[in-house]
Amino acid sequence: MTPDERDTKGNALLGDRDVAEQFAAADAVLAALGRSSSDPGAVLTTVAESARLLCRSQGVQVLLLNGDEFELVAAVGLTAEFVQHVARHPIRRDRETMAGRVALDREIQQVADVLNDPGYGRRDVQQIAGYRSLISAPLILDDEVVGAISLWRNQVEPFDERTTEQLRVFAAQAAAVVRNVHLVRALETRRLELARKLEQLEALSEVGETVSSTLVLDDVLFTIILNAVRFADCDGGSIMEYVEKDRVFLARTTYPESPQLLTGLRHLRIAVDETLVGRAAIEGRPIGLPDIAEVERDVHLQLLFEDGWRSVLAVPVLRDGQIIGVMVVRRKTVGDFSDEVKEFMQTFASQSALAVFNARLFQELERKSGELQVASQHKTDFLASMSHELRTPLNAVIGFSEVLLERMFGDLNDRQDEYLHDILSSGRHLLELLNEILDLSKVEAGQMELELSAFSIRASIEQALALVRERAALHGIVLAVEIDPAIDVIESDELRFKQVVVNLLSNAVKFTPDHGRVTVRASNPDHRLAVSVTDTGIGIPPEDRERIFESFQQGRRGAPREEGTGLGLTLCRRIVNLMGGTMWLDTEVGAGSTFGFTVPMRGTVKPSSIAGGTSAPVVVVIDDDRASLDLVGAYLDGHGVRVVRANDGKKGLDAIRRLQPAAVVLDIRLPGIDGWEVLEELRSDPRTEMLPVIIVSILDERPRGLAAGAADYLVKPLARDDLLKALRRTGVLPATGGGGPV
Amino acid sequence: MATRILVVEDNPLNLKLVRDVLEFRGFEVATAATGEEGVTMALSDPPHLVLMDLQLPGIDGHEALQRIRADRRCDGVPVVAVTAFAMSTDIDRASAAGFDGYIAKPIDIRNLPAQLAVYLDGHGDV
Repeated sequence: MTPDERDTKGNALLGDRDVAEQFAAADAVLAALGRSSSDPGAVLTTVAESARLLCRSQGVQVLLLNGDEFELVAAVGLTAEFVQHVARHPIRRDRETMAGRVALDREIQQVADVLNDPGYGRRDVQQIAGYRSLISAPLILDDEVVGAISLWRNQVEPFDERTTEQLRVFAAQAAAVVRNVHLVRALETRRLELARKLEQLEALSEVGETVSSTLVLDDVLFTIILNAVRFADCDGGSIMEYVEKDRVFLARTTYPESPQLLTGLRHLRIAVDETLVGRAAIEGRPIGLPDIAEVERDVHLQLLFEDGWRSVLAVPVLRDGQIIGVMVVRRKTVGDFSDEVKEFMQTFASQSALAVFNARLFQELERKSGELQVASQHKTDFLASMSHELRTPLNAVIGFSEVLLERMFGDLNDRQDEYLHDILSSGRHLLELLNEILDLSKVEAGQMELELSAFSIRASIEQALALVRERAALHGIVLAVEIDPAIDVIESDELRFKQVVVNLLSNAVKFTPDHGRVTVRASNPDHRLAVSVTDTGIGIPPEDRERIFESFQQGRRGAPREEGTGLGLTLCRRIVNLMGGTMWLDTEVGAGSTFGFTVPMRGTVKPSSIAGGTSAPVVVVIDDDRASLDLVGAYLDGHGVRVVRANDGKKGLDAIRRLQPAAVVLDIRLPGIDGWEVLEELRSDPRTEMLPVIIVSILDERPRGLAAGAADYLVKPLARDDLLKALRRTGVLPATGGGGPV
Repeated sequence: MATRILVVEDNPLNLKLVRDVLEFRGFEVATAATGEEGVTMALSDPPHLVLMDLQLPGIDGHEALQRIRADRRCDGVPVVAVTAFAMSTDIDRASAAGFDGYIAKPIDIRNLPAQLAVYLDGHGDV
């Protein structure tokens, strides 16, 4: 039966007056309900009040079950003494009281005279209230007894059926109030839960942010413990990391930062077997100590106790059943840690375990890549030294073969000549292989550095062609060159550029049948330099077009005229990539192949600016060593001066008289007239008397140099900074603080 | 009088190769297997040119060069470096260190006399 049906049934038994009274009572209850659903006591008191009036009783009490005991939530017509007594000696769900009985039987029951009821067990209560007739109705909510409402009269006057029905209605109303209360409580609980979850999420998200923004483990751990302490309303905390091989915990971090405590903790051997921390980890649950003073203290607890801590909670940090560590939060005060705090700490710990795990993975990754770098360096060093060791005997193999082939010490027969050629070409092949292995390992180790300079593209290509001309001629292969006349100079690494072109050319010659044609082209579309080498070989099938760029893969290009290293194209592609360019292949089976590459022109330098503008100050460099001239040129490149070179003293003097330079860089050991003579000549001529001369010599004869009138004296090997400083002192270069552009 | 060349090279086979080739070309060849020996020989009986391997046991080619240059007895004697490191940085280093020239290994025996002639003619001591 639903409460509504009971209402209808109840109403049918009531007279008109009763109906009006009933409505008035119900109105009062409903009004009270509407007034304050958050104060169920007041509403239930209204219900009790209405019931007392309508059922002509002296006292009414509304009791709610809490486990097996009733709690008095509303009472009318009762003394304070009664309320206190019942609070101290609660009514229970048993047969001693009417409330207990109806709660058990789920039915309204009454007793005409409680004093004549031998089963009635609460004479103590009866003596205080003095009731005789008693009626009680269960409060049923969702098929569950949640309480009871009891009415009594102080004289023996049993309750009639009408009153019983009225009570049934009041019981239903009270139950509705309780439902309301439950809803409100559930809502409140939910709200609190949500608020807590939100807080948890905020704390976790802070940890999450730390984990993603910094992978430094200690930072992560500090953020974790900071949030743990904050949330658990504690005064401090620390995180212990578990060291599996020693079965001990090491303190990683403490909050608030206390170097003293952290040092103390770090000196402890917190064993997994015999400490609070270890117990929490092994049992996999939080263990709290409300008062450290009260327990037998392990080393850890003793230290905390001495540091002024009184209560502590240890929460295991686990991942996949593995102990990662233990999170400890502490208070300066005595007290238990609530289940709520423990629960949150556990969630938090498991989330944090992930963070720690990630940080560890990251550290591992960093360590590994560091090791890899070292290993890679070792490999490169090894290859460099191996390549040198192998080159030395090869030198003898190649050299002696050549000596014999030159017939320096007598004639050879055809067979000897043939075999010596075989030895020589094998030796050269091996040497080429060594060089390419070394280059490739340098590229892979990131140690190949480009040496940029401005050079003529045409000259470079011509030099590369010169290296294959002999071989091409031997097989009647025509070498053709098509260079766009507009192309002039590129800024790149000349040596590497030539290496790539030579490689492509020698491949093309190698794979082109006799009387074929190899064409090298250069153009500059979109301010980039495109160089290609086209052969009239048999072409490369599609499935081999990528493979041939891999190490030791030669692809099916037909039988090569001679053995290749299988590294050439791999190396070429790497070098081109290093130059900021790309390599490409265009091939058709039966028609031939075109290998090409496109590289940036970088700061393409016009010939006029290489020579220097007329406004730029001139520096004349006199040195018979080409490399020294290059070096000075390179050092001064980009410093806004025009470098004019002379490889002997006479040419130097001519240049100086013609150009009236801002300074002279002079070597002493020169063919013909030496540096001393050049200097003397300059000092004796009024036009060049004041011209600053910087001597750069292999010999340290500084005093002699300065006495002879040199502005500065530098000893070889020449350092860039020394040269620049000297030129600044002479006023040729502006006096800047640091080094100029390279 | 024949042009005298001092070859400093620690590998006996390479030393023999260079010696034989140069002798075949009519040079007078003195040999040293270490840097120290090379310096001693250069100073006691200055040759017209020193062909110096850079990687040597004991003092290396650079150090040997410094010692030769520090002594006036060898003034004007060109010292040419020989090394297997054919990188341009090595070339720069060699010239910055004050070598008169640089020859890359493996030595091209056909061109070697011509390569050396550049330094010999340039210094006009022959």
